[in-house]
Amino acid sequence: MAGLVAKKCITPLVVMRRITSPEYTVQAAYHKKVVDHYENPRNVGSLDKTSKNVGTGLVGAPACGDVMKLQIEVDDQGKIVDARFKTFGCGSAIASSSLVTEWVKGKSINEALTIKNTDIAKELSLPPVKLHCSMLAEDAIKAALNDYRLKQQDGKIEAVKVSN
Amino acid sequence: MLSLNNLGVLCISQALQHSPKLLAVRQCLSKASSRATLCNNSITFSSKGTRRHTGFRLLNANTVKHVGSLQRTFCTVSVKLHCWNCGQSVEQTPAFFCLSCNFVQPPDEGASYFLIMECDQTFALDTQRLQKTYLKLQRSLHPDNFSQKTAKEQEYSEYQSALVNKAYRTLLKPLSRGLYMLELNGMGIEEGTDAGADPLFLMELMEINQALDEARSKEESAKIGASMKEKLKDLTEQIDGSLHKGELQAAKALLAKMKYFANIEEKVKEKLSELM
Repeated sequence: MAGLVAKKCITPLVVMRRITSPEYTVQAAYHKKVVDHYENPRNVGSLDKTSKNVGTGLVGAPACGDVMKLQIEVDDQGKIVDARFKTFGCGSAIASSSLVTEWVKGKSINEALTIKNTDIAKELSLPPVKLHCSMLAEDAIKAALNDYRLKQQDGKIEAVKVSN
Repeated sequence: MLSLNNLGVLCISQALQHSPKLLAVRQCLSKASSRATLCNNSITFSSKGTRRHTGFRLLNANTVKHVGSLQRTFCTVSVKLHCWNCGQSVEQTPAFFCLSCNFVQPPDEGASYFLIMECDQTFALDTQRLQKTYLKLQRSLHPDNFSQKTAKEQEYSEYQSALVNKAYRTLLKPLSRGLYMLELNGMGIEEGTDAGADPLFLMELMEINQALDEARSKEESAKIGASMKEKLKDLTEQIDGSLHKGELQAAKALLAKMKYFANIEEKVKEKLSELM
């Protein structure tokens, strides 16, 4: 992850540090929160896909070629206890998915469903051209929650079959 | 909104500046003083009415004396242009120079890149020939040739040269060429998630990306690069077939796939230069 981070971050960092006049920092730089998620990635990794408590969301954005994987681990009370992500794409996409994994930890399934791309974009101060990254992250978490729900349903059907 | 006097429209959007292939737009660079007659404004864009819509603003840019109203839709009026210098009519498209006085003309916004680069509008393209045309055009249009000429000529040569650059860059690579062809047919790849994406395909992409991330040697990275080249070559052939048959939806799906692989190929190049 460090390798991925280091190289890709140079240009925006250089832009940010070299241009100090106020009218430029707004336009030319990645927001420091985005840079933070980039340089200090949190929750990067994978969970066991086959586990019944894990929901996996895998989404892609064809226009920019980004791919995003988001996984959640849910306990028996329906609370999300762990979340991991792997995103291959621009800094904003990485930051958006990283933020989502931070947000969902400790939330219930229903609470996690309420996460909106607009909240993500606001938190990271994403410019208009990067709004689709937050959309991607929202779709990813919804896909993960959906996957978990389907697995639980399958599990219930299995249990019914066994008891019959 | 638009006043009757200011009907030159410049469509500005950050999204458009950064991702021209997402929305089909031609920036109208007309200068009022140079045109004695109607200006040819063709602006096409498709807006998505969903929450994913990235807003764009229409600004009035310059004062073009227009007869009639300008609508924000497809509007390609074929118009008789006249040379700004000698007044003779300029018939040919694209018009780089006036045939009578040989003065450089402002760029023709209605001309497609294929027309500008003297190519047939097909996906299959002879890149050698394209390059020769590019060099030939730049030899006559480049601003360096106009350093002793009037300010207006210098300005037009800049626009023309930049347009030729853009046309060349777009047509050179299969991906951008294909996307441009979709654009010409009023289609584009929408921003946002592809809801119908094949999960197995996405999984494959993740695995390739991860493998590249974990690759430590030049050989490993080069191997991935080679496999990407193969896939891209295969996709190019398929896209050629689809576009030839006019199957735009199929071509669009293939171009989306191509984008993913092209990204990975870029990352391979970066990685190889890092490992040097």
